[in-house]
This record gives sequence, structure tokens and C-alpha cells, in this order.
Amino acid sequence: MDTLGLLLQGFDVALTPINLFWALVGSTLGTAIGILPGIGPALTIALLLPVTVSVGPVSAFIMFAGVLYGAMYGGSTTSILINTPGEAGSMMTALEGNKMARAGRGAAALATAAIGSFVAGTLATLALTFAAPYIAELAFYFKPADYFALTVLAFTSVAVVMGSSRVRGFISLFIGLAFGVIGIDNMTGQPRMTFGFADLLDGMELTVVLVSLFAVGEIIYVASRYKNQKDEVVSVKGGMWMSKSDWKRSFMPWIRGTAIGFPMGALPGGGSEIPTMLSYTIEKNLTKHKDEFGKGAIEGVAGPEAANNAAAAGVLVPLLTLGLPTSATAAILLAAFQNFGLQPGPFLFTSNPELIWGLIASLYIGNAMLLILNLPLIGVWVKLLLIPKPQLYAGILIFAMIGIWGVSGSVFDLASMAFIGLMGYVMRVYDFPIPPLLIGLILGPMAENQLRTALAAGQGNPAVLVESPMSIAFLSLSFLFLFVPFLIKRLRTVA
Amino acid sequence: MSNNTNTSNNTGHPSPAKPWWLGVVVVLMGVVCLYSANELANTARYSAIGPGLFVTVAGIGLILLGVLLLIQIARGEKFESQDTENAEGNTPMDKRAFFIALAAAFVPVFMINHLGLPITAMVAFTLVTLAFGSKQIVLNLIIGFILGTASWYLFSLLGLQLGEFIPLLGI
Repeated sequence: MDTLGLLLQGFDVALTPINLFWALVGSTLGTAIGILPGIGPALTIALLLPVTVSVGPVSAFIMFAGVLYGAMYGGSTTSILINTPGEAGSMMTALEGNKMARAGRGAAALATAAIGSFVAGTLATLALTFAAPYIAELAFYFKPADYFALTVLAFTSVAVVMGSSRVRGFISLFIGLAFGVIGIDNMTGQPRMTFGFADLLDGMELTVVLVSLFAVGEIIYVASRYKNQKDEVVSVKGGMWMSKSDWKRSFMPWIRGTAIGFPMGALPGGGSEIPTMLSYTIEKNLTKHKDEFGKGAIEGVAGPEAANNAAAAGVLVPLLTLGLPTSATAAILLAAFQNFGLQPGPFLFTSNPELIWGLIASLYIGNAMLLILNLPLIGVWVKLLLIPKPQLYAGILIFAMIGIWGVSGSVFDLASMAFIGLMGYVMRVYDFPIPPLLIGLILGPMAENQLRTALAAGQGNPAVLVESPMSIAFLSLSFLFLFVPFLIKRLRTVA
Repeated sequence: MSNNTNTSNNTGHPSPAKPWWLGVVVVLMGVVCLYSANELANTARYSAIGPGLFVTVAGIGLILLGVLLLIQIARGEKFESQDTENAEGNTPMDKRAFFIALAAAFVPVFMINHLGLPITAMVAFTLVTLAFGSKQIVLNLIIGFILGTASWYLFSLLGLQLGEFIPLLGI
């Protein structure tokens, strides 16, 4: 069946009352967590996992998609009104958006961010709609050696790109790989790195690791360095609207931001920081109002916000088509699929089309919901910022505890939560990036499986790993990621 | 990319001690992986590699990276703490707050099986607020208990098994 036909079937699924309800729940939750500090979409989805088992996979993923997109919308609100990005991708929005708000143009800043997010989210979802089936089809030709090479590329790019130090990035990655081998080996049935603990026979639960690192580690870190200062919320004057000039100046930045954000979000380690920074730089160079940059230029809000939202859709491309997570949020979505006994990838397009196309269709609906939720209700969302930080962070710990206790009922998992939370604190103090650890944990077992399957097919001959053009290309890219920055640095030193 | 700086700063204050223990811990993690790989039976092999390969890869990787980290530390590598919302990396650590927050993370381990989720949540909630400098202990105990109870009830309705309200009393 053609793509449009499948998409229409997806709308049939997404437009049912129950799925519309879950889309609204996800969008609302996502906006709230985008505004609130200390909690992001990855952690929220991890905490929601236990309660969604009774909901069903289609509704669950529709809600998760709402959370993912909603967080992008919500993050821009705090960037503009209190100069504090709600999440990493909104950093550039804070630069110009808050300046606009202080100059009495907060309404226009919020409007361009919301509308830009809608435009980018819709266009990126269109791109996902038409690109995903072709990539999924291409993935049918991937052999195990190609998948192994792809995971090596994901490892290398994430460890190199994220964080300020490659050594520390790779240490995080290898700790994740070590966590990933804990448990019973699939192929031989031998327990590995369990040290006699029966609770470790099933391996390290991703939810426990993610919640511990993101929630508990963050709470301990912020508590130990907390500055009790009141957020200065800039009040929004006037109606939520943009002038004709604002529309004219925002339109092309929205389009350019989408074009930058979508492909970069799809890359391993792409994330949203790089596309938003790139978009900001491009808009600064292209604008006729260069003197306004740094003082509240609307292009500096429109472009990065569009790039941020488009990157969120881009993340779904490798996840749905190849089963490859390229960010912490995608990693937890993959864990969510596995919780339901599903493996994202090319086969899911044929075995569960209602899930995939229902999810894609719900992204269009969710974008529309978010535009309606964010524009007129901004005053309501801003009230969330009045929650005192001590009680907010304490509440996050309680939900983290419930999430972990509810999944396993195991005191061992609660102890793991505390110890891994302490590890998360140390990682923040010494600037070790956390996403490579999660990628190592979730992709490590996949990489090992593919490696062993490839070697089985090649009867133990390692040359099978570099036989196909695809695996050679992926491994070459990994090599470039690893060594080119080092070579450039050395050449600069010599020069 | 890594920042190399000299070991003294210009303010006249003593430079922070080098975190040698970080590199040592990473190396030790690698050693534990290698020891574990060595303990695995070699008889079970599949496609020319056994279950110990990835464990060995992780172990060797951590040892090598740990040594690299030690070299960087010796050369004066600067470790700048991360800036997050509500916390700046260059803010000195409040040890009291750190230990209270850490205690809050460990409280569930000792309490939840005997006293149940609502009371455990009450104590953990209050400890976190205390770590953040809140002095409204009674109010926080009440909020924590209400939040714990409401969550216990609501999530139980949604199908999560959260145990008895107060196991020690059989409620």
C-alpha cells in the first residue's frame, strides 16, 4: 500500500477518542516538563513506562510522542520568560528570546517560538512520513555485519560529540557497555558480571539506570550547589500575536531551521544542541537586521526553535526504521518498545503498521494540540514556575522511587538507584557526559548479537565484518569521527 | 575537547587536589570486568567467540581509558563541573546538603519494606527539601505524606504493585 494510504490508516487509529485523549495527556505533560527544571522527556517517559503497560502500545507511544514534542514547546517558554532553557535545545532561544521579552516583545517571541515549532514539527513529520518507509526498506538489505558497523558508528559519534572530552566520553560509553553485559548471556546461558546477585541475572534495567542518572544524580548535584534565587519572570504584555514584519522575518528561519534540524536529529549523537546553534549562526549571518542580534532579534528565536522541533522528529527516523537510538530519549523509547515485546526496525513496519502509522499520524495531531495548548494558555504554564524548587526536586525523587519500586518491587533496584545516582553526581562534578553511557547500555547487547551472528555466518572469519560496502562506509565514518578532530588539532598546533 | 591548564590558578588560592582516584576507579572497573571474563567457562563458544569477548572488550577499554585519564590528570587536566538549571558548576559544594540528599536516596532501601511507600516518601521528601535549605520541616512532612499516599493510591489503581500501605502493621 502506498505511503499516503498507510498514513490515512494511521489517522484512523490516532483519531479514536482514546488515542486523542492520550495524545492530549502526553502533550500536556510534555509542556509541563519542558517548563519545569530537573526533569526532561527521557526521564518522564521512563517514569511513565510502568503505568503504560496496561494501556497498550499504540496509546502508550502516542502519549510518549506527545511528551517528546511537548517538552520542546515548553522549554522555549522558560527560555523566553526567565532566561533559563527548559531543555538543552532551547539554549539559543534564551539568547534572543529573553531580550525580546525584556524589550516588551515577549508575546511575539512566544508566538514565533510556538508557531515555528508547529511549522517545523509538521514539516519534519512529513519528511518522516515519506523517508521512513524507504529507509526501512533499505534496512531489509542490512546484514548483521552492517548493523554491527552501524552500532560502532553510533558509539564513536556519541562518545566524541557529547561532552568536552573524548576520553571521558569513551569512559562513559565503556561503562555503559560493561553495564550492558551484566546478566545471562543470550547464546550460552552463562551469567556474566552478576557476582552472585540473583537480581542481576536479568541484567541492568535501563529504567533504573536512566532514572538514577538523570533524576537522583541531578537532585544530589543541584542540592549540593543550590543557589536559592527567585526566578525573575518577565511578564508578557499585549496579545499573543505577531506583526506582519514579524511573520515576514520568521518565515524563512522556520524553513531553514527545519531543514537543519531534521537530518541532524537523525544522526547518532546529533541531538538538538548542534542544529540550534547552527541555525542561530546562519540566521545571524543571513539577516538584514544584524544589529538586532544580541538585543532581541526575532530570527534568533524562530530558526533555533524550528531546528529544535525538527530534530525531535529526526530522532524518530533511525529509531523506527533501524531500531537505532541516537539520543537518551530515543534510547528510552527503544526500551519502551522492548517492554511491549516489540523491536523497532524494518520488520515492525510490516508486522505492526497500525502502531507505526498511528504514531506518525499522532505527531501531526499532537503538533496542532501543542499550538493550541501553548499560545493562549501561556499564563497558566507560567504558574508552574511558582512551585518552590525544594519541593519540586523532592517530588521528582518520590516519582523516581515509585517508578523503580513499581517496576520490580525490588530493594536491590532501589539500592542500585542510590549508588548509580551517586555515580551520576560524580559524572556531573567531573564533566563525564551521561548519554554515551545509556547508548552503550542499550546498544552494547545489540552490537554483540550482531557481531556474533555475522561471525557465525562467516564461520568465524572476521573478514566478514568488512565485506559489504555499507559496513566499510560505517566503519570508515567511525574512524573519521574518532581521528579527524585529533588530526586537525595537531595540524593547527604544527601550523 | 579537553582543556589543559597549569596546575595553579592566578588567585593565589591553592589549586584543587588532582582527582587521581577517578582514574584509579576506572582502571579498577576494567580489572573487575577482566576478572569476570576470566571466570567465564571457555567451553561454551559460539561462532568462534565466547560470552567473555564483550566483557573483555569493556575491561580492556576501561583499563586503557583509565590510564589515559591518569595521564591527563598528571598533565593538569581541568575538570569543570557541569552547569545545570539551579546549580552552577563553579559553586562550592555544600557537604551538608550533599550528605542529606544522598541519605534521601538511600532511605527507601531501609524503610520501604517495613514502613511502606507513603511513610518512606514522607521521609525522603523531607530530607530532599532539607538538603535544599527548606526549614519548613513539619509542612514538608505533611506534603511528603500526602504525595506518597496519593501516589500509592493512584498508581495502585493503574495496576502498579506498590506493596502494603504500612507493611509493619499489616495495613
